Amino acid sequence: MEALFYIFSIIAVFSALMVISMKNPLTSALYLVLCFFTIAGFYVILGMQFLAAMQVLVYAGAIMVLVVLVIMLLNLSKIKKIKMDLHQIFIAGVIFIILLAEITIYIINGYPKKPTGIYTHALINKIGNTQILGEFLFTKYILPFEVASVLLLVAIIGAYLFAKKKS
Amino acid sequence: MIFWLIAEIIKILIVFAGLLAAAAYLTLLERKVAAKIQNRMGPMEAGFHGLLQPIADGIKLFFKEDIIPADADKILFLLAPIIVVIPALTTFAVIPFGAPVKILGHTVPLQITNVNIGILFILALSSLGIYGVVLGGWASNSKYSLLGGIRTAAQMISYEIPLVLSIIGVIMIAGDLSLSKIVSEQSHIWFIVYQPVGFIIYLIASTAEMNRVPFDLGEAEGELVAGFHTEYSSMEFAFYFIGEYAQIVVNSAIIVTLFLGGWQGPFLPSVLWFLIKLFFVVLIYLWLRWTYPRLRYDELMDFGWKFLLPLALANIIVTGFIMILMNK
Repeated sequence: MEALFYIFSIIAVFSALMVISMKNPLTSALYLVLCFFTIAGFYVILGMQFLAAMQVLVYAGAIMVLVVLVIMLLNLSKIKKIKMDLHQIFIAGVIFIILLAEITIYIINGYPKKPTGIYTHALINKIGNTQILGEFLFTKYILPFEVASVLLLVAIIGAYLFAKKKS
Repeated sequence: MIFWLIAEIIKILIVFAGLLAAAAYLTLLERKVAAKIQNRMGPMEAGFHGLLQPIADGIKLFFKEDIIPADADKILFLLAPIIVVIPALTTFAVIPFGAPVKILGHTVPLQITNVNIGILFILALSSLGIYGVVLGGWASNSKYSLLGGIRTAAQMISYEIPLVLSIIGVIMIAGDLSLSKIVSEQSHIWFIVYQPVGFIIYLIASTAEMNRVPFDLGEAEGELVAGFHTEYSSMEFAFYFIGEYAQIVVNSAIIVTLFLGGWQGPFLPSVLWFLIKLFFVVLIYLWLRWTYPRLRYDELMDFGWKFLLPLALANIIVTGFIMILMNK
């Protein structure tokens, strides 16, 4: 398991670096697909097969396909020159420092915790984590779940309005 | 442990070889069915009634010149056909093709691996086949290929939604995502009886996912030469072909598993039952192809979004209501 974790980590970091360093946007998008795959691999290592399948199905199989499609339609590969903007570098630097600080704080304060709640590992394996996930989504976390669905609906209507306006 | 490993490797080899052989001979079957429908004889020269035709075709493709167009993105151009084949072959890993058998005191399930999220595994993999088509169309650096690739991508995204939703009814009734569990739930009655609408939606949407007539907008030969694989020749073209026919087998196997009781059946051995059902579903796909003309592009989108999608949603709601009413 540990060896797998390292293999996935190396691929994940490598593909993430390639996403931002590739000149051709289509190649970047494909490296992002690879990155999503390795994240699905992490979920499998953690025993969350459901999340892994969803990661591949939704991110790699649906969202990234749309991204690739848009890149193809816009023919972005023709753009060779990349504009360097000092503002961008500044903003990126600030975000980098914040994230680095966050990670450092987590690592310093983090310690192995014992699992809490009624669901032990044995119980989860017995029922299957898909069922537990479903139960939680529709009982304890129903409000965030519904809010997220409303958000998606708003996004769909917004996209529709934008598409209508142009034509 | 050793026994498990050997059994697993043997199963993988059998499934792999079987799938490739089935994909090869499906080309012959398709030509024979087409010939029957159009009142012809079909291939007759190579072997008895053309039985050696797939092998002859394979040898021919193998010795063809391998052309990569100038200005094509070489890596993606070669990668695309592989991306089509791999998900199609891997999907079969979770499909149970027979009742568990006892060998030397060990029970061996006739399924390469029993993942507890079997259906999601299949859906996740089948949603990746689209990359092969899109990338092939883009990397060829040809207008016909690009148009074919874009059309196919739009079509596959549209029909993937009803495809996924049509399966939910089955999952609700079975109460499990594992395919072996779904098969065992059907020991009394096949799910096609409870889910006739889901079955038909799956059949239509999967035909569209495979880009077969009447949904072959991406390779419409009248307008786009051959669509996304216009520039492909030799073995790369053969890979597209294998992928396409392997997908037919895999989709038929999914239909058999989800709707037609899997390997269950009286008298005959379970593997034989599975193969018989598989053969009939494959025949439905071939029959569809040689019966219907191609849809127009706007008709295709209207049919997917305005008819299949609401129908699939209604199917889920009705299934839920009936399950509550019957207190299941």
